[in-house]
Amino acid sequence: MPPKSPRDTDRHHEQGSRTGPDVESSVTDNQTGTVDLRVKVAGIELRNPVMSASGTFASGFEYAAFVEPSRLGALVTKGVSLEPWAGNASPRIAETASGMLNSIGLQNPGVEVFIARDLAWLSTWDVPVVVNVSGHSVEEYVAVVERLDAEVGIDALEVNISCPNVDAGGMAFGTDCSSAAEVTRRVRAVTGKPLIVKLSPNVTDIAEIARAVEAEGADAVSLINTLLGMAIDAHSFKPKLARAVGGLSGPAIKPVALRMVWQVSRAVGIPVIGMGGIMTGEDAVEFMLAGASAVAVGTANFVDPTATLRVIDGIVAFCREHGIARASELTGALRG
Amino acid sequence: MICAGDISASIEHPLLERVTVLANDRVATGVGLIALHAPRVAARIEPGQFVHLRIARGSSFLLRRPFSVHLAGGERIEILYQVLGEGTRALAARAPGEEMDVIGPLGRGWTVPDGAAHALLVAGGLGAAPMGMLVARLADLGVAASVALGAPTKERLVALDVFEAHARRVVLATDDGSAGEHGFVTAPAGRLLAEDRPDVVYACGPEVMERAVARMAADAGVPCQVSLERLMACGIGACLSCVVATRSGQKRACCDGPVFDAKEVLWDASEVPPRH
Repeated sequence: MPPKSPRDTDRHHEQGSRTGPDVESSVTDNQTGTVDLRVKVAGIELRNPVMSASGTFASGFEYAAFVEPSRLGALVTKGVSLEPWAGNASPRIAETASGMLNSIGLQNPGVEVFIARDLAWLSTWDVPVVVNVSGHSVEEYVAVVERLDAEVGIDALEVNISCPNVDAGGMAFGTDCSSAAEVTRRVRAVTGKPLIVKLSPNVTDIAEIARAVEAEGADAVSLINTLLGMAIDAHSFKPKLARAVGGLSGPAIKPVALRMVWQVSRAVGIPVIGMGGIMTGEDAVEFMLAGASAVAVGTANFVDPTATLRVIDGIVAFCREHGIARASELTGALRG
Repeated sequence: MICAGDISASIEHPLLERVTVLANDRVATGVGLIALHAPRVAARIEPGQFVHLRIARGSSFLLRRPFSVHLAGGERIEILYQVLGEGTRALAARAPGEEMDVIGPLGRGWTVPDGAAHALLVAGGLGAAPMGMLVARLADLGVAASVALGAPTKERLVALDVFEAHARRVVLATDDGSAGEHGFVTAPAGRLLAEDRPDVVYACGPEVMERAVARMAADAGVPCQVSLERLMACGIGACLSCVVATRSGQKRACCDGPVFDAKEVLWDASEVPPRH
């Protein structure tokens, strides 16, 4: 059974009467049976290994009709910055083979509105909350983390040093060991909350970046963010995205993501949260075998708003089929 | 991102419903009409709302496609679609008896102002798609409707039968003059606006047409609603792919729209929002 949270576990039932799932498809109850799904990441105990990937789930409100937040291992919010960000010009997305490109540009209402509105709503649910943090500068990352550190409803922070869609900051911090280390060191100094650093795949050696942030006190790393890509409409002679380039996500990137999770998990001692094209429970299992302690579901949410629940159910089914009592046994269990 | 007001508002959340194809026929050049058995969505959908359709599984294209619902009745919804790319080609290939799933009803649809006696509908091409339910609703409410319907050619005119069944007056325009007036639909639209003195104008079509109609309506002092089309990923307000710049900030076409008050829309900025 999932652990009892210190928060009022009954409150979500009131919410549920308004926005409770109304899903006709074959989503089953998360009957864990004899499979223990609990995992521990960055000092937080999760009731199952499945999180929402930042930027694909907003703060969970829009999905509440399909997924009660309290069903998730953790809810990872969309990135939040110090001031409101308007995001990029449209078109912001382009579909590609087995994936999609996005260049949303971290549009968000800023940390104060986020706290007053999104976090207030999230705090009514019994779910670990991981807030994703964005910045154009080291100082901005520090300021956002300082502000969020004061909030009791936040269980961990995920520092996004890997967004390919902003001009200043973003991915620039995640593609160089010294700047990745500097951001980590500076935010580590202003928060006692568990700190997850989200890594960019747009590097030559991701293990080296992972080691750099581990050395500066990161409690976990999450990977991968999107791969920098491009799509062109030949008929108009134009890029499909207004910003020309964007981040590739979806099943198309899963082999790259698995390879990087495998490399990083062998290079660091801190937990790895794996993501990149997870659509099914079996995909999630593959990430755990490669070394991930937990996983995040991203683009799949757009295809099927109940994707996180299906992935949880799929992990349970896999464990039962293979006689695995604890999902955590899957982590790094890849055979030679 | 949670929109101001969303949390306290008693919004009806969307459904995820498995649906069955009842019929799927070509109704004009490059245009299909698919009828779906979708009892739960059909019971709730309002004119101008849309559904997010998962056309195929296990294909190389992942995302759903948003379609406005053209007509709904009983346990059935009908969608008009133009075959434009991989997704709509796959949709055209779906046969009666096959299953799909939809998320819906989604978005804010058309509204009929209190006391309206006469409405003008301006549709360009597939812009007629979200207006089928609207013209039927107007007829139910006793609101007289005039329709200006345009298309590139006679063969690409759609939904004429629905408009003729419910509207008081339907005027056609084609770019090549093969049906109705020769030229853009904005010409007859302007004339109907002056002659029929509607209380409200509804427009859907290419954005350049919507913008022209919005300008004419504003000049005439008549409120105007436009249905905007944007690329969407999630369709439920989370991904921020479908933003529209408005006088009250960036809105999402999927849940704040797709129907907007035309005077709220920042037409130029909607394509190029301010960069941070």
